[in-house]
Amino acid sequence: MRVWKKLILYFLLIVTSIIMFFPIIYAFMISFMTGGEILSGKLLPSTFSLDNYVKVFDRLPLFNYLINSFVVSLGVMLGQLVVCSLAAYAFVFISFKGRDFIFFLFISTMMIPWEATMIPNFFTIQKLDWINTYQGMTLPFFALAFGTFLLRQHFKTIPKELHEASQIAGLSKFGFFFRVVLPVSKTSLVTLGAYGFLTTWNMYLWPLLVTTNNSVRTVQIGLKQLQSQEVATEWGVVMAGVIVVIIPTLLLLFLGQKQLQKGLTQGALK
Amino acid sequence: MRKSSKFGFLALLLLSLFALVACTNSDSSSSEKDGNEGKTEKEVVTTEEGKTVISFWHAMSGAGQTSLDAIVADFNASQDKYEVQAEFQGSYEESLTKLRSVGGTKDAPAITQVFEVGTKYMIDSGFVEPIQNFIDKDKYDLSQLEENILNYYTVDDQLYSMPFNSSTPVMLYNKDAFKAAGLDPEKAPETFSEVIDAAAKLKTDDMKGFSMLTYGWFFEELVATQGGLYVNEENGRAGDATEATFNGPEGLNAFNFLDTMNKAGTFGNFGTNWDDIRAAFQSGKVAMYMDSSAGVKGIIDNAPFEVGAAYIPYADEVKRNGVVIGGASLWMSKGIAEAEQEAAWEFMKYLTTPEIQARWHLETGYFAINPSAYEEQNVKDAWEVTPQLKVTVDQLQSTEPSIATQGALISVFPESRQQIVTALENLYQGMDAQEALDAAAEGTNRAIEIANKTK
Repeated sequence: MRVWKKLILYFLLIVTSIIMFFPIIYAFMISFMTGGEILSGKLLPSTFSLDNYVKVFDRLPLFNYLINSFVVSLGVMLGQLVVCSLAAYAFVFISFKGRDFIFFLFISTMMIPWEATMIPNFFTIQKLDWINTYQGMTLPFFALAFGTFLLRQHFKTIPKELHEASQIAGLSKFGFFFRVVLPVSKTSLVTLGAYGFLTTWNMYLWPLLVTTNNSVRTVQIGLKQLQSQEVATEWGVVMAGVIVVIIPTLLLLFLGQKQLQKGLTQGALK
Repeated sequence: MRKSSKFGFLALLLLSLFALVACTNSDSSSSEKDGNEGKTEKEVVTTEEGKTVISFWHAMSGAGQTSLDAIVADFNASQDKYEVQAEFQGSYEESLTKLRSVGGTKDAPAITQVFEVGTKYMIDSGFVEPIQNFIDKDKYDLSQLEENILNYYTVDDQLYSMPFNSSTPVMLYNKDAFKAAGLDPEKAPETFSEVIDAAAKLKTDDMKGFSMLTYGWFFEELVATQGGLYVNEENGRAGDATEATFNGPEGLNAFNFLDTMNKAGTFGNFGTNWDDIRAAFQSGKVAMYMDSSAGVKGIIDNAPFEVGAAYIPYADEVKRNGVVIGGASLWMSKGIAEAEQEAAWEFMKYLTTPEIQARWHLETGYFAINPSAYEEQNVKDAWEVTPQLKVTVDQLQSTEPSIATQGALISVFPESRQQIVTALENLYQGMDAQEALDAAAEGTNRAIEIANKTK
């Protein structure tokens, strides 16, 4: 009976994982196919030739794009962690007049869609002469209401006694933040970091808006350049580009899976 | 006490908000002025060797970008006065949006590629220098360029932008399927009723007879080839259009044509994506469909069967008028340094030479805007191998110049095309042809009205 149960369980797991993974596998297969093979709807390429990969590196400065994406994503990730954790600390451990009001005002900005603030943000960046710079691409994303909210909820679970004890022990406000609050919220920080990194990695419109040449452009714009509008698109080359672009994110996911899972489930249980 | 302090705080917050808004306003106006002042000083970016550097914003991705980058590199190597930097800015829509936000400032490029339906918007925007000024100054001979392409971009007898990548629709068909259905593969159906008959014969269990991408451009072409106008005021060229006229008899003809086949089950609807309808054709799910001339070469290279190209169909009771060109043209910015404009003009002239146009035509499938390119040996050789390319050029050159084939000029074209897409989708769902068309016309009228008011 137990064997049966396990068998069914594993069968379902395998089927769902195949369904989930199919798009990536198909993209992987297409990256080896020629134009005719793709359009006639084949699932497996006739030969595993690397032509498309050669073409994609030939056509685009893909390495530069990858480095830019890394710099921008890491920048946003670190910026968000610093700004959000400090803000959340203030909202939890420092009492001042109108704290709750400011907090709710802050949270309510989550209701404003990003697209609505895009144009004012763009003008700010333009006036600062930050077009084609890393700071123009990262800075507008540092203050994240969602991140502050996530960390605030976690900080609230830290017992008041701990705060009082640290005060008695003579820790400064910053010492308490740095040596007590941050270490105990590691999982939430990892979750927020991964979230920030991945969303930035996948961003398209903002990097396109604030860059006018290839110097600081990210991979997503590179992928867009591979697709044509009126002329037939060479999907093989596009998919080769996609595979190259998702490898770093997949690696990150595999390496950080344990932490990420812990962070997400802990958040969910609370 | 607490309450009042809370209100006081709120008031303070509001006040600071206003102050902020006011600040940004004054900021923007002052720095805009700064930008203009900077322009009057005519600062020109130069390379170490003293070449004038200009940027060229384009929306060519994929094969078009590869070809364009090579042409730009050749131009830079061909002389030692100018350096053009070609920079990709996203799709046509995205790059136009970007241009809107930087137009008239120092971040604006010297040359921008804008799609054909953005023509009216660009003219009204005020940040472009009509190309005509340079043509007159330089005594450039316009007659060497393709008349039917120039017609589109000529407004009030002025050529505003230099045509660059131009395409028209063509009808592609599966010759093998024609043979299998007992039709003559060398003679494609020409009129609406001939296409309907052929579609009925071609239909098998897994193959539909005819299809058209659900995209406003093809509908515009079906109307224009019957001599019908899209909007009033002579297609918007005599003055600002105020009303859509595509729901007249010509538009209804086109809708009925599609409706007849749809009801008979010989029409295949493959949605709004170019790649989807092409995949359907290549995998034998549809025997005839309309595509852009720029896509023809890719289809022929990849199709596992023989592909035929033909003129787009027209209504039986009228004579064929021809096609309106689509694609994009190059616009020169106003308010930039004279040296930069000179550089832009030199580059545009370089682009229109027969050798470059021949190369462009062969590498991308777009038309050569300079017809003498077709006399080049490499084009002749290529036509020998793929005679279908010649069909697309013949169709353009046999077009009768008229207001209908000159193409409509309205600033809200993207919105109007969206209305047509909705109308086509409704038609395929079974809505009455006239009713669907009227709804689209009404939506277009509303958009035009708003645009004219806010102009």
